Formats: sequence, structure tokens, C-alpha cells
Amino acid sequence: MSTTSQKHRDFVGEPMGDKPVTALSGIGEILGKKLEQQGFDKAFVVLGQFLLLKKDSEIFVEWLKDASGANSRQAGSCAQCLREWCDSFL
Amino acid sequence: MPLFEEDPAHLSKSRLKSDLVAHSVALPPAQSKKDVYVELHLKHIDQKNAADFSSDEEDQVRDVADKEEDAEDAEIPDPSGLTDDDLKAALLEHGFKAGPIVASTRAVYEKKLRKLLQPDGQDHLNGAEKGVVYSDSEEEDEEEEEGSQGAKEETVERSDQTQQESSQNGDFFYPQCFLPSSRLLDMPIVDKHSMKNQSLYYTPKASPYKWGMKLSQEPVKDTFKDMFPDTQATPTGIHATRRKPIKGAAGRPIQYVYPDTPASPTTQERRAVERRLVPIQIQILVFLIVVVLLYLIYACVEDNSFSPFVALLESLNQGSDGEEGLLLPAETQDTPALSGQE
Repeated sequence: MSTTSQKHRDFVGEPMGDKPVTALSGIGEILGKKLEQQGFDKAFVVLGQFLLLKKDSEIFVEWLKDASGANSRQAGSCAQCLREWCDSFL
Repeated sequence: MPLFEEDPAHLSKSRLKSDLVAHSVALPPAQSKKDVYVELHLKHIDQKNAADFSSDEEDQVRDVADKEEDAEDAEIPDPSGLTDDDLKAALLEHGFKAGPIVASTRAVYEKKLRKLLQPDGQDHLNGAEKGVVYSDSEEEDEEEEEGSQGAKEETVERSDQTQQESSQNGDFFYPQCFLPSSRLLDMPIVDKHSMKNQSLYYTPKASPYKWGMKLSQEPVKDTFKDMFPDTQATPTGIHATRRKPIKGAAGRPIQYVYPDTPASPTTQERRAVERRLVPIQIQILVFLIVVVLLYLIYACVEDNSFSPFVALLESLNQGSDGEEGLLLPAETQDTPALSGQE
């Protein structure tokens, strides 16, 4: 099994429903606040952005770093989280 | 007076050198091959000579100069000034298929286009200079030039040579070291699984160089294209797509409940038997009692002598009341009937 965090596993294991953006792997309090300020208040909105970028992890990581100030690790973790969620539920 | 049909290749090396000095052109490093001098000579001196002669040739000079600028301009239009469609087309020119360009995605795609444009511009602008400086002096001045110029352009130009070197260095992924990015191009086909997590973190750093290298190396471009449709996510092509999560594993709540482990008929039988484990003992006991009684009846019939067996029966009567009470009348009826038959 890959080294995923518990947060990652929690998110990827079920439909995200109305989960807040902080439920995403790699997105904590501070990053969550920044995203909310930009209007990404729920996880599904970030999912929407991910899908708009055609599920391209690289571009999504760039976007996330610009939008929230995440570092590479956090953004990569979030991208991986969303990608796996899409594999299961989309 | 300069010769009209002066062919630099026919001149001697020292003559070329002196010509270059006369025209105040920077000399290539010492011990360079004659070709270097010829090139320089052609480039600088012939241009000058052409300019001296006629307006046509002046135009030529301008064209040569303008070509470089035009190339520059064509390559670096301001991404912010483009329309959505133009931006998409520009990205497509560089081999990147972009998604819808909406308010939220525009910024990212502009940034992407800038990144794609930068290595192109550098290649065009510095191509001539690098050709002069590096073309034949690789063996000697490699280390010196690397230090001054930075490894950036080196890897773009000579990634073929560095690949073998980087395969040794590539085990360590340094963010500042650009060599591994060349390895990322070739290795993903071979070594997918170990690089998956690492490549995610290093793609932002590697991407400009990867894109640059992708453009400068045609064969690699195709493999990228092949990889992209497969993965659609990681550019390095390292992506083990998991179609179904492991339900119920690692504390994950079970979303779709599958039926309990399919039980074979034998398993079901065993389970049924186990359920009746306690009552089964009582059944065995009852069975044994019935067997004993039937034996007694048989013995009675065989011997045809009542006394010992009547005593036995009486003792049995005293022993167990409930069950035997019912059997007694049956036995007393049976024994006269059986004795009657004989």
C-alpha cells in the first residue's frame, strides 16, 4: 500500500458530498481559509476546478499553488487525493 | 579591398583569425577547429561586406537581424493579450491540449504558455552563441562553461550525453539539479512504480525543462504523446489507476455492501450442524435409549423367557418415567403379540 495519510483514505473512501475544503488531503486550516476567500468553500468546488483542468495533476498543482499558496507537497497530495476520488466515483 | 568571392573555407586558419580580429569579432577559444573560425567569419564579416555593397544586401542584413527578432516576437506574444481561443491555439502549438479557458483557468494556462515560450526563446536566441562557444570545445571547456552558464541550457542541448551521467546521479532528486529531469523523459517507461510519488513533487520544477526538452527532441515527444492518452494525469506517465478502492480495508467505511462471503453448500451444512451442536447430544442420548430398549425387546423375543427381562423392564420403569412410560404399553402389547406368533 502507498504511503497515504488517514485524511487521504477518509476522503477517497466515500463520496465527498458536502465536505468542507479542509477535508481534502493536503489542505489544512490556513490553506482552507485562503481557498474559501476565493470562493472555493466546499470540496466539490475544488473538484470542479480539477475537472475543468481536465484532471491534469500538473496544471492543477500549479493552480492550487497560485490560488492558496500551497507548497509542492501539499498541492501534490491534494491532486492525488482528487484523482483517486475521481477514479472511484466519477 | 575585400574579395568578392571570398570563401572563408579556402582561407587559412591564421588568416581567418586575423580577419576576425580586424573586424573586432570575439575570437573563439584557442585551439578551436577551423570550422569555428569559418562560421564566425561567414557570419560577421560576410554580413559586413554585404552591407557595404548594395541596398539589397543591406536588406539581407536587416532580414538576418530581423529574422531573429521576428522569431522572438512570434514566440513570445503576450499571453495576457490573447483571446481565449488564441491562447488555446498557442498552447496547442506547443503540444499541450488545454481544457476550457474560463475565468478560473485562464491564469494557469497563461502561466503555462509563458513557461512553454521561455525555453523556445532561449534556444533561438542563444543558438548561435552557443554554437560558437560550445560546438567544438566541449571536451576542454565543458566544466568551465557549465559553471558560468548554468546547467540549464546544457541539459537542453546535450541531454543525450547527460542521460548516461544523470542515470547515475538520478537516484537523488535534487530540486535544484536539472539533470534528473532528462532522466524523467526516458525512464518512466522502464521504471514506473518507484518514481510515482517522487515525480509528483518534482513536476513543477521539472516541467519547464521537460517541456523544453520535449520540443527539442523529436523522438521523445512521441513517447510523451503515447504516455499522455494512457495516463491523462501525470505527465511522466506514472500512474497506477485504481479503479476500485479496497472496500472496508484500512478503516474505510463500506460503501457498497457485498453479500457475505459466498458460502459453498458444504460450508452451509457445517454451519447448520454447528448450530445444532448442543441439541445433537440430547438426540444421541435419546437414540441410545431407544436402541437399548429395542435390544431388550429382541432379547425377550429370542429367549422367550420373561423373568429376567421383566425384572429389567421394571428396573427401567423405575429409572426413567417420562419417556419410557409411553413405550411400556407398546412393549407389553408387542411381546404378547410376538409370543403369539411363535
